[in-house]
Amino acid sequence: MKEINIAEQPWLSLKRTVKITIDGIRYRLFRATVTVAVIVVAVAFLMNILAESLIKRAVAADTRERSDNAQLNSNWSTKLTSTGSPESIVAELARLDASADVNVETRNFIRLPDDDFARLQSTARDVQYVLDFFDDLDYAKRRDLIKTAAGLEILDYLARPENFDTFKLGLDRYRMIRFEMDFDKLQKLIGQRADFRRTLADIIAKRHEANAKITAYLKAEYKDNPTLVNDADRLAMAMTDADGKFGDVIRSAGFNFDAKRIAPIVADQAKNQQFILRMKFSITGASNKTRQLLAQEANKIPSDINEAIMWDYLESASFAKRYIQVMQESGMDTASLTPELLVKLAKARKETAALARAKRLTMDSGKGFMGLGERLAYLLVVSFLVCGIGITNAMMMSVTERFTEIATLKCLGALDGFIMIMFVLESCIMGIVGGTIGAIIGAVIGTGRMMASFGVNFFAAIPVLDIFGGILISILLGTLLAAFAAVVPSFKAARLAPMEAMRVE
Amino acid sequence: MEETNRTAAGEKSAERRVIIRTVGLKKIYTMNNVTTEALRGVDMSIFQGEFISVMGPSGSGKSTFFNMIGALDSPSIGRVFIDEVDVAQLTAEELAFLRCHKIGYIFQSYNLIRYMTALENVTTPMAFGGVQPDEARERGMNILDLVGLKERWHHRPIEMSGGQQQRVAIARSLANDPSVLLCDEPTANLDLHTGQEILDILKRLNVEKGVTVICATHDHRMMNICDRLMWIRDGRIDRIANREDVHIEVGGIEGH
Ligand SMILES: Nc1ncnc2c1ncn2[C@@H]1O[C@H](COP(=O)(O)OP(=O)(O)O)[C@@H](O)[C@H]1O
Ligand SMILES: [Mg+2]
Repeated sequence: MKEINIAEQPWLSLKRTVKITIDGIRYRLFRATVTVAVIVVAVAFLMNILAESLIKRAVAADTRERSDNAQLNSNWSTKLTSTGSPESIVAELARLDASADVNVETRNFIRLPDDDFARLQSTARDVQYVLDFFDDLDYAKRRDLIKTAAGLEILDYLARPENFDTFKLGLDRYRMIRFEMDFDKLQKLIGQRADFRRTLADIIAKRHEANAKITAYLKAEYKDNPTLVNDADRLAMAMTDADGKFGDVIRSAGFNFDAKRIAPIVADQAKNQQFILRMKFSITGASNKTRQLLAQEANKIPSDINEAIMWDYLESASFAKRYIQVMQESGMDTASLTPELLVKLAKARKETAALARAKRLTMDSGKGFMGLGERLAYLLVVSFLVCGIGITNAMMMSVTERFTEIATLKCLGALDGFIMIMFVLESCIMGIVGGTIGAIIGAVIGTGRMMASFGVNFFAAIPVLDIFGGILISILLGTLLAAFAAVVPSFKAARLAPMEAMRVE
Repeated sequence: MEETNRTAAGEKSAERRVIIRTVGLKKIYTMNNVTTEALRGVDMSIFQGEFISVMGPSGSGKSTFFNMIGALDSPSIGRVFIDEVDVAQLTAEELAFLRCHKIGYIFQSYNLIRYMTALENVTTPMAFGGVQPDEARERGMNILDLVGLKERWHHRPIEMSGGQQQRVAIARSLANDPSVLLCDEPTANLDLHTGQEILDILKRLNVEKGVTVICATHDHRMMNICDRLMWIRDGRIDRIANREDVHIEVGGIEGH
């Protein structure tokens, strides 16, 4: 005779649980594939944005350094010929610290002791705040507050009591704008403006003197050279000697021109520039021979040939060699031009273009969340949401459509815990598979897209470790999301009485 | 324990044990603010080892009754005792144990697990009950042999006919040697011949193994093999009778 003797149910072994789960997935392979595909797409999307963000950030950092260096010659050429405006000097004083080259220089020019210079900088920072404040306003509001005053004139404008009152009233009206400086301080700043301007004028005068020394030197040095027609030509030529005698001249004029690090780069860039000028002449100059050679090579008519096409072809050493020959034949100056040099220049030219493009593309980078910039951070958040909702939906569907199976398993004596484990295990497997595929696809697409827009020059800048970390995080995220999304409905299903579960459609 | 059954008098009742007993069983379904009273107070005792048919037109509450006494759903009011244990008092683990070891379920739509072979379907309840895989496999094959499907152990439900699937379902319900077999219209989806085969198997199990069989059905052939019949109508017990008594008044029953 049989007796009902109720005892507690043992737990199913993990091995058996895994087997049942995997059999379940294999049987519903098509459905499982669809669910996995949703995870793949969601994670790929997230990873794509993440990879692009990381690459952009890395390229931005890389570009800043490289383009700062790439512009040394032109920055110094500008500095040696122009003094800058009062506003640009305020910006230098406010934004760079006292040890920056340009500020060291300024301090030497006007011979201020450290303390006084610190005070000058602090005033400059306050003034800069005021200027920035008005620059950030839209046109209508700005006009309303300070009419058409611009730059340091703004302080003069606000010096009139009635204007100051209008400004204060205007601020009250625009509640959205916040002027952080208190009015007493602003008044004090306005009071100091004459002194401040005098100092700026002093700086400009000193710089002017220094520039004049340079110009005088250039005139004397190149008086016998008729090809250098103006100051700019002469300076460009002199810069090729920046690591030599001309460097000393720059320093003796009072500039803080680093002989070790900066001067060689400047000299090198200046030399290259000279070559580039000569090459430009080879295509725009009198001779048609070079033009014809290019036309033949590029399969174009000679009048369509321009400098850009020339540089494209000069990237090949064999073409560069022939090009030099043709230049020689037409009697052009080819001194110290070698095919290798031309190839190097052609590549450098491309690099400069790439740098400029990269700088433009990474403009908003460096600020905001993880230094990704506002737009990317926003995209990242959105893609995270899309990923989360997509996976949650897919997992919930895949649990809900199996309520009958859950009910049947419960009729056979399955514990609630077994059903939970089965579904969480299943979603983890799907999450890992989908997450891995998705993360790799996303990373590849992201990297590919970024390389396409930045060019292969930035290949070395790809933050491989960061991207690898991103892949791991994406996989983890996909898996966790999938597991979490499965927990909720399977918990619900597991706790229902079997028949209640079976009734759920 | 040795309680006499007041509602249905059978000469054997005094010596037989009550295995399932319901007291004032009511079930009210609420769906979209519509309430349906599927059971309106059912008091019933089922004896160990008997074969009982629960008959009634569709919608009369057979399945609801079946789910209550099988501990698959909880009653709104009233109690279900399985071997004098109040089902409502059991924990989730104890309920799982009860469903695993003490009761075998057979459904109209077979409810086999689609991704498991016939053998795996049969051995799954054994696994839940803690039987080792090798032993489960051997026992599973024996049970499949019992329902005549030994050769088809590796087939999936989709590869089998309805009758074969129902036989696998029977085999599965027998996995842990249950005391009670609960069948909800086991033959409703099958043709006459196959249905008869299933009925034969059930009867054989009842006679040879002493399993209590409770069968919700409106298959009239059931009358030939069961010990007792219970008619449900609108959620109430209409009538309970021994088979011998029914046969005498067959004409009257056909009218139901
Ligand atoms: N889940 C449910 N929700 C609402 N009403 C239900 C539900 N299940 C059954 N019913 C109703 O309860 C009554 C009894 O149903 P059921 O027990 O399935 O009858 P039978 O199995 O005899 O055909 C019917 O009126 C049916 O409509
Ligand atoms: Mg029914």
